[in-house]
Amino acid sequence: MTAVAATEPRRMRASLTLSVGIVLVGLHVVVALLTLVWTPYDPAGMAGGRLEGPSLAHWAGTDRLGRDLFTQIMIGSRIALTVGAGAVGIGALIGVTLGILAAFATRFLDDVLAAAFDILIAFPTLLLAMLVVAATDSASLFSAILALGLAISAIVGRLTRILAKRVLEMDYITAARTAGTSWAGIVFIHLLPNIWPTLLVNFALQFGLAVIAEASLSYLGLGAPPPNASWGRLLQEAQGTVYTAPFGAIAPGLALVTLVIGMNMLADGLRDIGDPTRRRSR
Amino acid sequence: MTHLFKGLTLAAALVLVPGAAVAQGADPDAVIRIGSLYEPQNLDNTAGAGQGINEAFNGNVYEALFQLQDEGEVTEQLVTDYEISEDGLTYTFSLQPDVTFHSGDPLTAEDVVYSIERVTAETSQSSRKSSLATIESVEAIDELTVEVTLSERSISLPYNLSYVWIVNDAAVDITASEDGTGPYRLDDWRRGSSLSLVPYENYWGEAPSNGGVVFNYFTEATALNNALLTGAVDIITSVQSPDSLAQFADNPSFTVTEGASTTKELMAYNDRIEPFNNVKVRQAIARAINDEQLLEAIWGDYGTLIGSFVPPTDPWYVDLTDVNAYDPESARELLAEAGYPDGFSFTLDTPNYDPHPIVAQFIQNELAEVGIDVEINIITANEWYTKIYQAQDFEATLQEHVNHRDIVFYGNPDFYWGYDNPEVIELIASAESSATVEERNEKLRQANIIIAEEAASDWLYLYPQIVVSAANVTGYPINGLNSQFYAYDIVKTN
Repeated sequence: MTAVAATEPRRMRASLTLSVGIVLVGLHVVVALLTLVWTPYDPAGMAGGRLEGPSLAHWAGTDRLGRDLFTQIMIGSRIALTVGAGAVGIGALIGVTLGILAAFATRFLDDVLAAAFDILIAFPTLLLAMLVVAATDSASLFSAILALGLAISAIVGRLTRILAKRVLEMDYITAARTAGTSWAGIVFIHLLPNIWPTLLVNFALQFGLAVIAEASLSYLGLGAPPPNASWGRLLQEAQGTVYTAPFGAIAPGLALVTLVIGMNMLADGLRDIGDPTRRRSR
Repeated sequence: MTHLFKGLTLAAALVLVPGAAVAQGADPDAVIRIGSLYEPQNLDNTAGAGQGINEAFNGNVYEALFQLQDEGEVTEQLVTDYEISEDGLTYTFSLQPDVTFHSGDPLTAEDVVYSIERVTAETSQSSRKSSLATIESVEAIDELTVEVTLSERSISLPYNLSYVWIVNDAAVDITASEDGTGPYRLDDWRRGSSLSLVPYENYWGEAPSNGGVVFNYFTEATALNNALLTGAVDIITSVQSPDSLAQFADNPSFTVTEGASTTKELMAYNDRIEPFNNVKVRQAIARAINDEQLLEAIWGDYGTLIGSFVPPTDPWYVDLTDVNAYDPESARELLAEAGYPDGFSFTLDTPNYDPHPIVAQFIQNELAEVGIDVEINIITANEWYTKIYQAQDFEATLQEHVNHRDIVFYGNPDFYWGYDNPEVIELIASAESSATVEERNEKLRQANIIIAEEAASDWLYLYPQIVVSAANVTGYPINGLNSQFYAYDIVKTN
């Protein structure tokens, strides 16, 4: 009886966190999809006067060139989600593959991979991104995604390796091996189903971090070049006018915060609900 | 006529305003606190110290044979009189008597020889070194007479000499100390924070109107503005964004002054390569961009439109804003005539700092209207230097050019934009060896008109030079040509 009473509110709180997270992220996804077919104004068109404040016609005001900021922020959602998804996708693909490889590998290869993950994690993400930009010769959406994906792959790789090693020590793995299950069979039947909930939570967290990192890159001019309206670039452009037209900085800032908080809540909610080991340990 | 007259009176009034209120209640002992973003790296203007050293020391601590006044004309400073030989190759300068250096040594012809040779020396990093390259020899004739011999005529010699500080030949280590003849001497230099000047008691000319100046250095514009708002400084030497002005513009506690700068925002094409080697293409681009709307977007009510590379403070200025003025219809026609009826696409290398990215987007929108597709490539200032300035590997780029009297760049076909017109090269090369100033000005005016008609680059606008001060501070220079900031006439009332 007492055990149930203690668990129920916690699960309710978890589902509340998850719902808010889903709503916030869902909102951005809907807006991002909407921009593919419709925006309130032409993103490049000069729809109003210079640095107008928020109004019914321009919900977030206009920028220095008289372009509608709300339109740009909507497109920013699309860019943020593209970069987040792309970076996490690359990170997951490389990270999970290498992590599992390390867990199965010989002692020597395992050490090499573990050291490689640690080195890559210790390397500042922005510096890594600058290197990638320098290597690809120009800043673009692709170079930003690639750089962030590489950074994420190390984090995912390290986590996968640890999780996989823990699972591989289990008796049922030994049993499966004895029964003649193939290498691939162990990975896909036993290993991945056991570690994916934890990985999924990590992906959601990394997604939020990637969105922030992309904004930082764009702020520094290393992200998607104009006219891609990345939030980081909107923030950078609003910096000089922050006293006279503060909404130019507040609006993209709010968009960034809602998406990142949404992603974090989604991750929290997923962890509390979806991770069986955590639930049991409480 | 009345219109013109009104305009002139207004212009005169604007020029006079800062100095006008010198009269009542001025405190001769007040120390003027100047806020600046440009801390010098060292104290020697021939050793790569940056523009900050000109701001703090030109005319204040060091003087030259000639002085570039705030309105743009060049006047005698440490020279009382000079003679030019028939062939224009020998200049004889008579020096101001009774001038002493801050260390107490008297100024002699030997010091002048030493000072000029310091700038023309092999090891000098002075940006003016090349303009003094025609100097063959400098000799002291007697205590107060110097003779300069040139290899060819150089009509701008007095102007070029205004950049040459007269330094005591006995001075040691002027990168960390000073020994000049100016109205102020260096009192204290705290690296990373401030540089203070106090009046030199034995100054040969008129004593400063204040009790000294302190340059306070900031690394960030917002911090600098806040310092003025809170009264920590009295003046800001240059405001870099119109929007930070809103805090001061309607506030009676502050005075905002707009002077003429020499900083030009321009889109430079690589004139060597297709399609920019086609004059019609360049003209079409110039006509497709509404400079007026751009200036309004970037600077609000400030700044000036220019139709060419030459700002109004250069002696060979002509109003060329009507040449290749905004006219998208004729831009389309020109593109068709040039063989690009459907437009073309190019990459615009854009420095990552303000205002270039926003200017690039404006250009992108404007050119899209006439069918030209612009791809914006954001680069750092360092990349700009290596990729564009050195390697000349680009199609078009944005840049701000700050120098005074820099039309000569269009006479150099090896310059990064590669503009190569034999007539212009000849005009610019021969201008310097003109017999009279009028002849030189006329030649450069011709060159100026040709580059404007051929749209060698697209000159978007001229930055404003904005100085903001507390309302009780007056008498400061408003144009700040060549980054100079003469402090001796500044007064503060209580």
